[in-house]
Amino acid sequence: MTRVPLTGAAAKIVLCKVCGLLSRPSGPSMPGRCPRCGDPAVLRQRDPIQRTWALVIAAAICYLPANVLPVMTTQTLRSVVPTTIIGGVVRLYADGSWVLALIVLVASVMIPLVKLVALAYLLITVQLRSDRYGRERVRLHRMLKVIGRWSMLDVFVATFSVALVQLRPYMTVVPGSGVLFFTAVVILTIFAADTFDPRLIWDPGKTRGEDD
Amino acid sequence: MTDDSGFTDVPQTESVPKKRARLSIVWIIPILAAVVGIGIAVQQHLSEGPAIRIAFRSAEGVEAGKTSIKYKEIEIGKVTGVNLSKDYSRILVTAKMEKSAEGLLVKDARFWIVKPRVTLSGVSGIGTLLSGNYIRFEPGKSREEGHDFVGLEIPPPATSGLPGREFVLRSDTLGSLGIGSPVYYRRLNVGQVISYGLAEDGKSVYIRIFLNAPFDRFVTSNTQFWEASGFDLSVGASGLTVQTESLLSLLVGGIAFETPASSAGNNAVADNAVFPLSSDRATALSPREVDAERYALYFRGSLRGLSVGAPVDFLGLPVGEVTGIFLAYAPGERSLRTRVEIVTYPHRLFVPRGKRDATTGRSTPITERRGFMQRQVAEMGLRAQLRSASLISGQLFVALDYFPDAPEAKIDWKRTPPAFPVVPGEMENLLANLRSLLGKLDKVPVEEIGNDARKAISALDRTLVRLEGETLPEAKKSLETLDRTLQSANRTLERVDGEIVPEAKKTLEELRRAIASAERVMSNTDNTFLGPDAPGRQELRDALREIARAARAVRGLADYLERNPNALIRGKTREKF
Repeated sequence: MTRVPLTGAAAKIVLCKVCGLLSRPSGPSMPGRCPRCGDPAVLRQRDPIQRTWALVIAAAICYLPANVLPVMTTQTLRSVVPTTIIGGVVRLYADGSWVLALIVLVASVMIPLVKLVALAYLLITVQLRSDRYGRERVRLHRMLKVIGRWSMLDVFVATFSVALVQLRPYMTVVPGSGVLFFTAVVILTIFAADTFDPRLIWDPGKTRGEDD
Repeated sequence: MTDDSGFTDVPQTESVPKKRARLSIVWIIPILAAVVGIGIAVQQHLSEGPAIRIAFRSAEGVEAGKTSIKYKEIEIGKVTGVNLSKDYSRILVTAKMEKSAEGLLVKDARFWIVKPRVTLSGVSGIGTLLSGNYIRFEPGKSREEGHDFVGLEIPPPATSGLPGREFVLRSDTLGSLGIGSPVYYRRLNVGQVISYGLAEDGKSVYIRIFLNAPFDRFVTSNTQFWEASGFDLSVGASGLTVQTESLLSLLVGGIAFETPASSAGNNAVADNAVFPLSSDRATALSPREVDAERYALYFRGSLRGLSVGAPVDFLGLPVGEVTGIFLAYAPGERSLRTRVEIVTYPHRLFVPRGKRDATTGRSTPITERRGFMQRQVAEMGLRAQLRSASLISGQLFVALDYFPDAPEAKIDWKRTPPAFPVVPGEMENLLANLRSLLGKLDKVPVEEIGNDARKAISALDRTLVRLEGETLPEAKKSLETLDRTLQSANRTLERVDGEIVPEAKKTLEELRRAIASAERVMSNTDNTFLGPDAPGRQELRDALREIARAARAVRGLADYLERNPNALIRGKTREKF
């Protein structure tokens, strides 16, 4: 990377993220609004690293109770059985449906974990101003954004079960607090992946100072 | 900030270096997450109750994670693990208790496994059928905290903590009672059986019952308990008896009690007082048999149909019962005879002088009583007799009755039990009579009678032969005379025919003429009244026509009324066509 590519900030041109109109910001510290659609023009998100970090850490905190607390509690006449995500995976596996077990394991346990680790890796490398594997890291980020929403599968299943299995007094399913944390993990990682600005990855290759 | 746009003449805005916000507001999110997470963790930790360990000999139906520990039907803990003890002799059940139950876990707290019990008397038992076994908890009285317990194998009285008292009943058999069997007082369910067991000597059964608070005070020293078990069908000398307390007790058995109203000395009793348990109400409520007088009866005849427990009647009233039937050797006669032991309740037989209350016979001096009996036997002829209660069942009972003609006898009070004089039973009497009759019949000289009869018949034969020779010719003569008499009678009749019949003919002729004239008169009359042109007839016809017309009018009116019944009230209205 010998040649520094032109950036919007350098060219004093801003791209509206909604309608795609190129316009000149009224000032570097006050970008103003898009003359066509009125969306606030933003050169760069403010403090992208810090914001992403905050979201990643919040998600990591939530990840623990999401896996420890029960996602749903099945009440039958005989018993009250709380089920955690891992417990559900184990039960599915024990019941013989290992494909489902694998899907739940991947979608609900692995993916959030992978996302957290990957985001942390991206953030650390950006902060270290590393310029290696830039292309791979951008691909990783793109992948994170795609797979993120699939983790909602578990929340979906829990919601459906709770709504459908209401056979009082024989059997009911009530949501556990774990599902709230799990949802929080999924949403926070989606936001984190969104907030992370992939342009930071190749920022080290040019002169710094434009991302104010 | 180099200015490389083309507008050099436009003044540059002042560039104020922005104060960099060191901490973004986004950090609120992880802080919030942390606070909530830590809060939940702390709450979880605080609400976590103590873990306990209970040792059971067997943990039937106890499952980790499913079986709950209940107190007053509320779950206060959950079994978390079921393991064998180190020496493999016991089952160690670990359980997590609720935080709220922490204070209940004292050293002498009791745990036991509640199993489904199909006695119908407990609703809780039905609950376990659906929910499975659970561990029941009952707090103790100790103040010391405890975490290791030994589970009970049999449930303790399910009533601890309830106001009420326990009593002990003694019975020969348990009958159909079981733990939880109801106790009735005036058909109210006032308590239950809480345990039972064999007495130490093995000769009786003790049954512990618990009576709920307001009802326990009805138990006094005179209270009688009896088994209201199910269905008591007995065929005794007194016939067929069916007795039941309630439908529930019919199924699960039960105990009932009552305090006889007449009995004196209704003293309060202490807890765990022991009472006898009678087999039925009649036995329980019969007056207390304080002095029973025992006698032995020696009978000659068969005792088939007599059973232990058969009543001893005096003039139809029960005064005792048969307690034993044996064979005894009679040394004087070198043979076996039957010995029946009876017990009589003297206060039923004997009314002491000056005292009319038969229920307080306990103060009667024995000598007075015995003297009375001796007089009855010696002077009045009081005897025991076997009688048949029912020809169908063949049951026998012992009757005491007066037989003034019986041979003299006395009660020998020195023997125990003293022998009471008997007379043969009715059946025995009947048989004896029959036997003597047959003996007499046996003595009748049948052969001689037969010979005599034959002699008599041959004599008769001779008589008949003689009769034939002498009497028949005489008879012939008589018949001829009769013939002649009949012939003369015939002649007399012929004369009657010739002389009297023509006379009669003439009379008949005249009668015929008289009838013919009468007929003529009648026909004249006919013409006058009924002939086609008779005036009477004409008038009759007119009258009939009038009547027919009237009838028609009435029919019309009836038809109209049928169609318009309201015409009766409103009068005739114009018909609409």
